[in-house]
Amino acid sequence: MELFGIWIAAFLTLCIYSFLYKDNPFYRFAEYLFVGMSVGYGIVLSYHQGFIPFAWEPFTDVFTGESLFGLIKLIPIGIGLLFFSGLSSRHTWLIRFPSAILIGVGCGLAIPNVLRANIFEQTRGTIEPFAAINAGTLSGMEIFGAILMVIGVICTLTYFFFSVEHRGPVKWVSKVGIAFLMIGFGSAFGNTVMGRVALLIQRVDFLINDWLGSFGALF
Amino acid sequence: MLLTQFSPHSLSQGIYEEVLNWARIITPFALVFSTITLLQTHITRIRRQTEHWQYSFLVFAGIAIMVVVGIPFGPQNPVFEWLFNNVQLPMDATMFSLLAFFIASAAYRAFRARNLEASLLLITAVIVMLGNVPVGDLIWNKLISLTPWADTYPDGSSWMKQWILDNPNLSARRGIILGVSLGVISQSIRIILGIERSYLGGGD
Repeated sequence: MELFGIWIAAFLTLCIYSFLYKDNPFYRFAEYLFVGMSVGYGIVLSYHQGFIPFAWEPFTDVFTGESLFGLIKLIPIGIGLLFFSGLSSRHTWLIRFPSAILIGVGCGLAIPNVLRANIFEQTRGTIEPFAAINAGTLSGMEIFGAILMVIGVICTLTYFFFSVEHRGPVKWVSKVGIAFLMIGFGSAFGNTVMGRVALLIQRVDFLINDWLGSFGALF
Repeated sequence: MLLTQFSPHSLSQGIYEEVLNWARIITPFALVFSTITLLQTHITRIRRQTEHWQYSFLVFAGIAIMVVVGIPFGPQNPVFEWLFNNVQLPMDATMFSLLAFFIASAAYRAFRARNLEASLLLITAVIVMLGNVPVGDLIWNKLISLTPWADTYPDGSSWMKQWILDNPNLSARRGIILGVSLGVISQSIRIILGIERSYLGGGD
């Protein structure tokens, strides 16, 4: 079964790499199968890790007499079922209820979490090294890095600040912000390239060692 | 959800957890509904026999195989795990690795040093790429060995990469994160107050 799995994986890998030549039936075969299997995988995970533990199990506890609290789960189940009103053109407006609840929960979660993790923590991380400078525990290079960090954050934010016209000093500060952004994009690009190349190496390694290596077991 | 953040009381935290669970219950229905929409799209393709319509059967087959095995027996089932490890995972990794080839042509266009900004992008990307691989340090060490500072700055390629990631790169990312976060908060407040209703499909 393991050998069969290696051959299936190798066939699908080669099918996808055949796209490097041009679009062809083998690539389309793998592409459409990939879409279907990914959707199926998502449904299975969502069912077993979302619906079963959070809706079905508390609901069945009502019948076993463990807890009546599970009855309340009928409300989100009912709200979730409203999604299927989208299949009827007359009742499609009902889909607004589950959408509004999900978006409301998302917004309610986003405000405190974004404030805490992305604004307070990032601001703290930017100015915290200055306490260490005051305590005299940072090296010259680290002090330079701390000052550069504050300059970079202020200049980048200035570039995205459109409430004032970018003229005079603001223009130059935002130009420095662009330079920092380019360094950020460059490093992100470099990391992305290396990540993709690492995946390519892994797939080529699989084809050479696992797949070609399996020829010995066959012949 | 917002108000519960201001009270550590068990009732408040209970409400928070319950509302979160409601969202977790409602989300799978959205996924099933979107799958039905996908199936409808492919049924229409087959009915109208548009270009490559035959491949739509593969989408049905992919969904059916995973659901038939996964729903009754769970994701820990050996057959489901075999399908994931030998069919889905290799295709996923290969699809992403395919981008390595296309990113090379994108790099050619992005990395042409036409002005200061493009040059900064080029230099940073080259340093980060070289710093990620052992050959980067090998090149650096060979070059530095020709100078009097051979022992002072070993492995400078990976050191420079790390310095760029920790300082100018992080400051740019922090600026972006702060800007995006302020946008998320203002948009969330607009949605909560009913000023922004476009997600309901009303058009305003």
